[in-house]
Amino acid sequence: MIKQLSVFVQNEVGSLAGVTSILKENNINLKAIASFDTPEFAILRIVVDQPDKAKILLAENGYAVKITEAVAVELEDVPGTLNGMLTVIAEANLGINYIYSIVIRHKKAPLIIVNTDNLEKTVTVLRENGYLVADQEDL
Amino acid sequence: MIWNETKECMSRDEIHNLQSARLKKLVKRVYHNVEFYRKKMQELNLEPGDINGIEDLHKLPFTTKTDLRDNYPFGLFAVPESQIVRLHASSGTTGKATVVGYTRKDIDIWQECVARVLAMAGIGSMDKIQVAYGYGLFTGGLGLHYGAENLGATVIPMSTGNTQKLITMMEDFQATAIACTPSYLLHIAETLEESGKINKINLKAAICGAEPWTENMRKEIETKLNLKAFDIYGLSEIIGPGVAADCEYHNGLHVYEDHFLPEIIDPNTLQPCKEGEVGELVITTLTKEAMPLFRYRTKDLTSISYEKCQCGRTIARISRFKGRSDDMLIIRGVNVFPSQVEAALLEMGETRPHYLLIVDRINNLDILEVQVEVEEHFFSDEIKELEKLTKKISRVLQDALGLSVKVTLVEPKTIQRSQGKATRVIDRRKLI
Repeated sequence: MIKQLSVFVQNEVGSLAGVTSILKENNINLKAIASFDTPEFAILRIVVDQPDKAKILLAENGYAVKITEAVAVELEDVPGTLNGMLTVIAEANLGINYIYSIVIRHKKAPLIIVNTDNLEKTVTVLRENGYLVADQEDL
Repeated sequence: MIWNETKECMSRDEIHNLQSARLKKLVKRVYHNVEFYRKKMQELNLEPGDINGIEDLHKLPFTTKTDLRDNYPFGLFAVPESQIVRLHASSGTTGKATVVGYTRKDIDIWQECVARVLAMAGIGSMDKIQVAYGYGLFTGGLGLHYGAENLGATVIPMSTGNTQKLITMMEDFQATAIACTPSYLLHIAETLEESGKINKINLKAAICGAEPWTENMRKEIETKLNLKAFDIYGLSEIIGPGVAADCEYHNGLHVYEDHFLPEIIDPNTLQPCKEGEVGELVITTLTKEAMPLFRYRTKDLTSISYEKCQCGRTIARISRFKGRSDDMLIIRGVNVFPSQVEAALLEMGETRPHYLLIVDRINNLDILEVQVEVEEHFFSDEIKELEKLTKKISRVLQDALGLSVKVTLVEPKTIQRSQGKATRVIDRRKLI
C-alpha cells in the first residue's frame, strides 16, 4: 500500500495552486494528483515523495489534511488490464471509492491507485490473481 | 378610514392624561404582582406612589430581552395562570425562546389594534384578506387573523410555504388584501408575472411587516401589483404586530399610544432623545394584563414625531426604522442572533465556532448562508462524509434558528479571527 495526502480545498480560482506552491517551495516531488469536486469544495488527493513532511507543511499553512492509505497496482500497457483488475475487485464484492493513476515513474510501468472499503482484502485478492501491488518504496 | 376616532384623534393633552392615568394603575398592579419588578423598584427606592404620571416614566427601570430570558418561562406574568388564554414565543439570543402570555382582554386589545391598522389601509368588512404570515408561535399569523376578523373582513388563513396555492386562491376567491412580509410579497408578484396571472388578481392593499424594508420596495410592490402597501410594526414582547403602522401618507408609523407608551433614548447614555432625533425605541405597555412591561428596550432605531398627521390622527409617529442597536438580523421575518449560531455549533461539538453568516436577498427571498471552517480532526477524506457533515450542521442550525440554512464548508483559518469584535455577519441586502 502507498500513502496519499487528502487536502480540503474550496472550489475557487487558485486553490490548487495554493497547495502545489507550498510543495514546490519545499522541493517536494509530486507523483500523482487527483481532485474530486463538489460545487463548493474539493478533496485534492496527492502522492508525493515525502508524505509526512508534506503533511506537516500543509497543516502549518492552514490546510485540513490527512494521510490515508491506498492500493497501488502496476498494470501492463495493453488493452483490458484495468478491466481485469476491476473485475477481480468487483468479484470480491469490494466497493471502489475512487481511482486515479500515477503515470510518471522512472523506467517502470504506470500505477493505478484505488481506494476501496477494505484495503487489506483488496491487496490480498489482487495478489492472489497475479497483480503486482506496489508499496511506498516502489514509487 | 379611522377605526377608533376617539382613541386615534385625541388632543395631545387628552393623550397625556389617559397615559398618566393608565401608567399609575399599571405601576401599582405590577408592583404588587410581579416580584421581578417589585425588587427592581425597591433597589431604586421607588414606590408605586412615586409615579404620578408620564412625567415620572424615566424613574422606572428598563426591561431587556435578557430579563425575559432570565424569567423564562412565566416569571414576568402579572396574573394567575388560569387567566392566561394564549402563549406565543419568539426566538431568544441563545436558544431559549422568549415567551409571552395573553389574557382574554389582551387578545381584545391586540385585535383592536390590528383592526385599526387594517382600517387605516382602507380594508373593511367587504374585503377578503389572505394572511400569509406564519401561523403558530410566531405572532404574525394569528395577530393579523384576529384583527381582520374583528374588523369583519373575510380571513383566508394561508400561513406560509405554498405560493402556488396562495396564488390560485388569490385569483379564484378574488382576494382584495394580503398580509405578509414585503420580500415574500415581491416574490409572489414575480411568480404572478411569470405565470401571466398578474392581471387576473384583484388586490387593493397589502399589510407588510416583520422585517425591515425600503421606500423603493414599497414602490416596486405597488407598481407591480397595482395596490397600496402599508407598513406594520410590532414585536411579540409588546403584543405582536399592531403596535404601530403607517397611513396613506406614509409619513411615519402611528403608534397606538393609548396602549403603548413610546420613548426614544440614546442607546449608549440611556438618556431621552429630542423629538426627531434618532435613538432606540422603548415601549411601556399601558394596558397589558398578562405580561406588562416597563420601558422595554426594542433595540430598534427610529425617531418620533408628535405632530398631527395629514390623515387627522394625533397619535405619535415613529419614522421608518434605521436599523438595530444590537446584532439581531431579521431573515424572512425570523429573528436571528449570531450568538444562536455559535451556541448551536459549540453544542454540536464537531466544528470550532469560527463561522460567518452571509445574508443575501436572491429573487426577493432572503438566503442565510453559514460558512464553517473544516478542522483537521473532523475532516474526512471522503466527499460523502463531508456532505453528511454539511447536512448535519444545516439540520442543527435549522432546528436552532427555525430557518433553513445553506451551510458551506471552507478551509481552516480563512474566516477572519476576532480582533476585538469579530465580523460574524455580512448582510448583502440593501435595506436601509
